[in-house]
Amino acid sequence: MAIDRFLQHKASSWMTNTGENTDIAMSTRIRLARNLNDFRFPYAFSEDEALKVDKAISSVLLDQGSDVNQNFTHIDIQNIPQLQREVLVEKHLISPNLARGQHPGSVLLSENEELSIMINEEDHLRIQSLQSGFHLQEAYQAANQLDSLLEKHLSYAFHEKYGYMTSCPTNTGTGMRASVMLHLPALTMSHQITRIIPAISRIGMVVRGIYGEGSEALGNVYQVSNQLTLGKSEYDILRELQNITEQIIEQERRARDILLSNSPMMLEDRIYRSLGILTYSRLLSTEEAAKCLSDVRLGIDLKMIEDIDMSILNELMIFMQPAFLQQYSQKPLQPNERDFARAKLFRERLKEEKANSEGEDFR
Amino acid sequence: MICDKCGERPAAVIVKKNQNGQVFERHLCHVCAAENHSLNIAFEQDPLAIHQLLSNWFPNHQASVSPVKKEETVCDTCGFSFNKFLNLGKFGCANCYDTFSPQLDEVFKRLHNGNTEHRGKIPASYGSTLKIRKEIEELRKQMQTAIEEERFEEAARLRDEVKELNTQLEGGASDGN
Repeated sequence: MAIDRFLQHKASSWMTNTGENTDIAMSTRIRLARNLNDFRFPYAFSEDEALKVDKAISSVLLDQGSDVNQNFTHIDIQNIPQLQREVLVEKHLISPNLARGQHPGSVLLSENEELSIMINEEDHLRIQSLQSGFHLQEAYQAANQLDSLLEKHLSYAFHEKYGYMTSCPTNTGTGMRASVMLHLPALTMSHQITRIIPAISRIGMVVRGIYGEGSEALGNVYQVSNQLTLGKSEYDILRELQNITEQIIEQERRARDILLSNSPMMLEDRIYRSLGILTYSRLLSTEEAAKCLSDVRLGIDLKMIEDIDMSILNELMIFMQPAFLQQYSQKPLQPNERDFARAKLFRERLKEEKANSEGEDFR
Repeated sequence: MICDKCGERPAAVIVKKNQNGQVFERHLCHVCAAENHSLNIAFEQDPLAIHQLLSNWFPNHQASVSPVKKEETVCDTCGFSFNKFLNLGKFGCANCYDTFSPQLDEVFKRLHNGNTEHRGKIPASYGSTLKIRKEIEELRKQMQTAIEEERFEEAARLRDEVKELNTQLEGGASDGN
C-alpha cells in the first residue's frame, strides 16, 4: 500500500540537518489554515459535508492535469488502523486531532514528506510545510506557493476585515503558525530558559517544550512560534520570529561557551555517561533516552564525540516513540517491552554509526 | 513508602496510567510527581485553552442558566449561538464572523494584542479591488502622518498615488470579482 513508505524507519529529509545553525535549530514548520466557502466548518459540518470537502480538496491536489499536482499520496484517515495513524503523528505529518478520525478526513503527503495537507482537521484545509534546520523563508515559500495554486481552484472563506476565517479565533487573519524547533541543552542546564520563556511571550511569541508536558522539555527540545495571526502580515511575523530565534540561538551558544569554560570535565563526563547508557543499556525509558540523546547531541556539537552523525537527535526522538517502536517490532508492546525495544533500537543505531565511521577510516 | 522514581523521598502521590486497558500505578514523591510526564507531542495544541479565556472575558454571556435571553444571537448557517462560540472557543462557519461581528472586535483585541484587522495575504480571487482599497486606506494614513509632521512633499506624492489608485478603482478594476 502507498502509505508504507511513510511508515518506514527511515529519516525524512526534514530530519537531516543542513545549513547554518543546524546544531541548534532542528527543523522549521509553517502551517496555513484555510476553509472553503459554502461548507460549514468542521465543528459544525455534517458527515456529508465532510465528504464533499474532502473530495473537493483532494481532487484538486490529485488531478494529474492541474498545476498543483506534486505526486501526493492520499491517505484516508478513517481507513487506516490506529497504530499507523499514531506513527504519522509521531512523525509530525498529521496532528493528534486528525488522528482521532472523528469525521471523514485525510492527509496528502508529498514524496519527500516536506508538504502535508490535512483535510478536515480543525479547519477544512491545513497546509504544512516542513524543512530541516532554520529555514523560515523556504518553508513559507513552499506553503504559500501551494496555497496560491489551490486558491485558483477552490473558493476560500475570506473576510474583508478579518482575513482568512478559521475555526479558532486564535488563527484568524493569516491563518499562519510558523515555528522553529530548537535544541537548548545549555539554556536548560543553566535554568536561563525559565527567564526567556515569559520574556518572549510578552512580544507575541510562544516557547514551549514540544515533547512531554510539565516544566522541563523532554530532550531539551523547544518550539518557538508566533501567537498572533491578526494585524500583522506574514512577512512581519516571519521577520520577528527569525529575529527572536536568532537571539535565542545566540544565547544558547553563549551558555554553551560558559559551560565549556567553567566545568569542561563535568560536561565531558555527563556526555560520555549518556553515550554509555545509550550504547549498552537493555531497558530505556522515554525520559532517560531523551535526556541521554540530548547530552550526546551536545557532545557532537561541541566536537567531543566525533564518530556519530548529528541528525541522530532529530531522528531518534521520533523513532523511539511508542507507535514507531511497535510498528518496527511488528506487534503491540507493553510499556516494559517498549523500554526493551527502545534500548535495542539505540544499541543497533549506534553500532551502525560506529561501523560506518570505521568503514570510512579504512578507505 | 518510598518514591518509585527517585527512591529517596517518601511517596506522596499515586499516578495511575491506563495503557491498552492495563492500569499501571506509580507511587511518586511531590518532586517526581511534578516532573511526571510522558512523551506526548503537543504539536498542534492551542497555546492556551482558548474557550476558558473567552468564557472568563465575557462572563455576562455565561449567565445562560437564566431563562433564554431575548437577543441571543444565533448564526443561521450553523446554528451556533454566541454562547456556544464562547464555550467551545470555535466558530461554526464563515457566517458566524458576520453574525457575531459586533462582539468580535473585543474578542480579537484580547487574543491578538489589540489587533482587529487582517494585514496579510489576500487571495487573488477576492480581486484586485479589495487589495487597492486596502492600499488606499494605508496610503491615506501615511499621508495624514506626513501632513502632521509637515513633510508636505511626501504628502503630495502620497495624495497623487491615492488619486491614481482611485481612478483604477473606478476604471476597470473589476477583474477577479
